Amino acid sequence: MSPLLLYQLVAVMLLSIGLFGLIWRRTLIGMLISVELLLNGAGLSLVAAAQLTPASAVLGQLGTLLIMGLAAAEATLVLAIVVVVVRRFQTSDSSAVSELKG
Amino acid sequence: MMEWLAKAAFALYVLIIAGGAVLAVGAKNLVRALVGLVLTLFGVAGMYLLMSAPVVAFMQILIYVGAVSVLIFIAIMLVRTGPEGDETKARSLRQFLYAFFGLAAPALILGGTIIKRPVESASIPAEVSVAQLGEGLLGPYTLAFELISAVLLVAMAGAVLVAFERRGDK
Repeated sequence: MSPLLLYQLVAVMLLSIGLFGLIWRRTLIGMLISVELLLNGAGLSLVAAAQLTPASAVLGQLGTLLIMGLAAAEATLVLAIVVVVVRRFQTSDSSAVSELKG
Repeated sequence: MMEWLAKAAFALYVLIIAGGAVLAVGAKNLVRALVGLVLTLFGVAGMYLLMSAPVVAFMQILIYVGAVSVLIFIAIMLVRTGPEGDETKARSLRQFLYAFFGLAAPALILGGTIIKRPVESASIPAEVSVAQLGEGLLGPYTLAFELISAVLLVAMAGAVLVAFERRGDK
């Protein structure tokens, strides 16, 4: 197996486990942790594709840096949403948050 | 010798990533799940080093392990679920089936595709210096660089706005 294939398989593993956790978890924070796994899989795949093929390596590495910035922004927003949800519903269970115009 | 070392390091990182990911998804206690996530992040950083992308590995540790995991820990602290938190409740068989489908579908489709149609791979990763990355950020990719800083600023301002509560306004 070529090195690129091995790295891509690890990225697919992270994607699968993250997707599993996103559905399996009940709390919003558990889902946030799963999303971080997904984003890491994306970054790993991107850097592997950039470093081990003739594609532009600079573009791939910068793309991964941008993914990290987006992940930080996303985590900040989810933190604020969790704070609001917990204040309003007294729980972070995602199935309890089913009330519109609360 | 070096080849063998690289293979051993790769196997070690795969073990760290897999163990951390399983812990992050399966642990009943959210703090333990966070520890699993940090393990996975370190494993991925090690893989970046193996691919000779040290800048990305450094940023991975700086941003993910340093900032994002602390944010998640603060979120866990604010929610204050005890050891008998929401994650310990039983789940229905249907939810397990959905989750298993979410695990199997990308593994089968994407994994099968990349195994069946492998892309030509170089055995030696490309070397990119920090100077080249900086020239990329200030040259052709300036717009993306500026946009990501705007996105970060808006996200932080929005987070403050969403979580802000006026006194006596409840």
